[in-house]
Amino acid sequence: MDLENNKAQMRKGILEYCILSVLSRNSCYASDIIKELKEAEVIVVEGTLYPLLTRQKNAGLLSYRWEESQQGPPRKYYELTDEGRKYLVDLDKSWQELVESVNLIRTR
Amino acid sequence: MDKTININLGGTLFQIDEDAFRILHDYLQAINSRFGYVQGGHETIEDIESRIAEIFQSQKGLAGVITRANIEAMISIIGKPEDFDHGDPDTAAPVYTSQKRRMHRNPDDFIISGVCGGIGAYLDTDPVLFRILFVVSSMFGIGLFVYVVLWIVLPVARTDSQKREMSGGSYHSAINQNKHYDNAQMTGTPQYSAGYKSSSRIGNAINEIFMAIGRVFYIVIRIFLIIIGVVFVLTGFLSILSFVMIFIFKFPGVFSIDSSGINLINFTDFLNYIVNPASVPWITILASIAFILPMLALIYWGVKMIFWFKARDGVFSLIALVVWVMSIAGLTIIGFSEGISFAQTAKTSAETLLPNSPDTLYVRSDKKIADLKFEKDFALPHDEYSVYINDEKKELYMRSYLAIDRSDNKSTRIEVRKRSAGRTEMEAIKKTEGLIYNYSIKGDTILVDEYFTSPSGRKWSADNVGINLYIPTGTILKFEKDTRILLHSSFRNESDEYLESSWESVDGLWVMTDDGLEPAHENSVKHK
Repeated sequence: MDLENNKAQMRKGILEYCILSVLSRNSCYASDIIKELKEAEVIVVEGTLYPLLTRQKNAGLLSYRWEESQQGPPRKYYELTDEGRKYLVDLDKSWQELVESVNLIRTR
Repeated sequence: MDKTININLGGTLFQIDEDAFRILHDYLQAINSRFGYVQGGHETIEDIESRIAEIFQSQKGLAGVITRANIEAMISIIGKPEDFDHGDPDTAAPVYTSQKRRMHRNPDDFIISGVCGGIGAYLDTDPVLFRILFVVSSMFGIGLFVYVVLWIVLPVARTDSQKREMSGGSYHSAINQNKHYDNAQMTGTPQYSAGYKSSSRIGNAINEIFMAIGRVFYIVIRIFLIIIGVVFVLTGFLSILSFVMIFIFKFPGVFSIDSSGINLINFTDFLNYIVNPASVPWITILASIAFILPMLALIYWGVKMIFWFKARDGVFSLIALVVWVMSIAGLTIIGFSEGISFAQTAKTSAETLLPNSPDTLYVRSDKKIADLKFEKDFALPHDEYSVYINDEKKELYMRSYLAIDRSDNKSTRIEVRKRSAGRTEMEAIKKTEGLIYNYSIKGDTILVDEYFTSPSGRKWSADNVGINLYIPTGTILKFEKDTRILLHSSFRNESDEYLESSWESVDGLWVMTDDGLEPAHENSVKHK
């Protein structure tokens, strides 16, 4: 078995959950999300994030508005929609269940 | 200093050096082909471009030129498209099979406007096929009409997704071939292309038409040059082929227009009797160079015109030219040294008077060319000069000709005129005396030889023997069977009338009149 591959698969599964979680605390720029995900070592390269943001936005989970920046062109400022919050609650629940299931198996 | 390029990335202008630009270009291209076809993919591309701009700004501020190192640092942050997969299963391993196809004009494969290139991409077929089809059908007018309509109707495949649509996804971006990268392609995000299209559409159309006219003009000139090239190649090739066939393989007849009149194949053998035999190989080699080299040059020019390439052939051409000039010079030197033997020509003549002038004179040929023993023959075109070579006896036989003239007195006489060339007039006269020619008179019949002989071992020295028969007015001349060979093929009388046409009809019967020789019919003869 390839450990790296396994870790990547795990991260892949939780990545969308993590994005929504970051945004649930406060709205922010893409670069802020990246910063947090990188610190938590959930993503390796930034490029991973952008297609996910686009998809979640298209799914109606999040929205963005253009914010002027001091230097350069305006930037996208992301926040969760109501639908996104509901979705996150569901995900929180499934995450909790998943953790419990894993713990149950590990401590038996 | 290296070239720098201005690019517009995510709404910010950057200066970038050429080397870095190429890497960035490839990188953006890879991202484009990753997301360009995914739903909402353009937005992702825009986001990534904005992020790249952000990274550049944090690296450089707004000043300074972006270098390769900047690009590599940026790529290590954002990652290569193939590393993006770790978060998004949907974009992994894209399958294009369901891609819809739309016909476009192909900007990467065009001759005039890319219509055929586009059709070729659409149908996965070689565009050359459609080009030929259009050219052929244009001769009937339809093709041109259809072409112009398609030109107007079909859009150019500008963006990558259009290019993918053009061929149903199998299109390989021209960027990988570094074919043309410019700012327009670089910032080829959707909003950019849209602006580009709407702002200068009319200007573009006019520009495109002029470009197309230029290309058509170019094609016409190319076709013209190709035709000339083909003619050159064929001419050169056939000339060399016939030269080799005639002089080296002695392949008779095929290349001579009139096989009876022109016989050049034994020229090299004949040369042995004209010049010093030691110089014959030299003449052969030099003449071959002098003839074949220009023909090779002609073929080379032709090939160059057909395939239109540039070659570093300057030194090569110069060497060829020098060799050619040297061969000509060599031939000239040999020509001069050998030509001395032909410096002077001399004529001698001898006359024999017939004891009485018969009313009817019979002409017969005595020694016949048909009975000659010879190995090789040689004939000069047009000049009716034939030489028969007997290598064993080292003798040359040459045709002699009989001419009929009106005698200005009542006498009938034969004159034999001999001509030769030599270093001096004395030598030439001596040579004429050596020529062997025989004729005899038996009552009212004269017998003449069809040829004269140059004595054994002697060189050819432009020898010639002519026989003149002078007969008074009213004399009837009867040429016996097979005597036509004695006369020139352009057989004329005094008033320069061509008599050939009458030869058969009068059965060799002629009469001398005050106007010269005329065909005599049986009854007119009897009448006299």
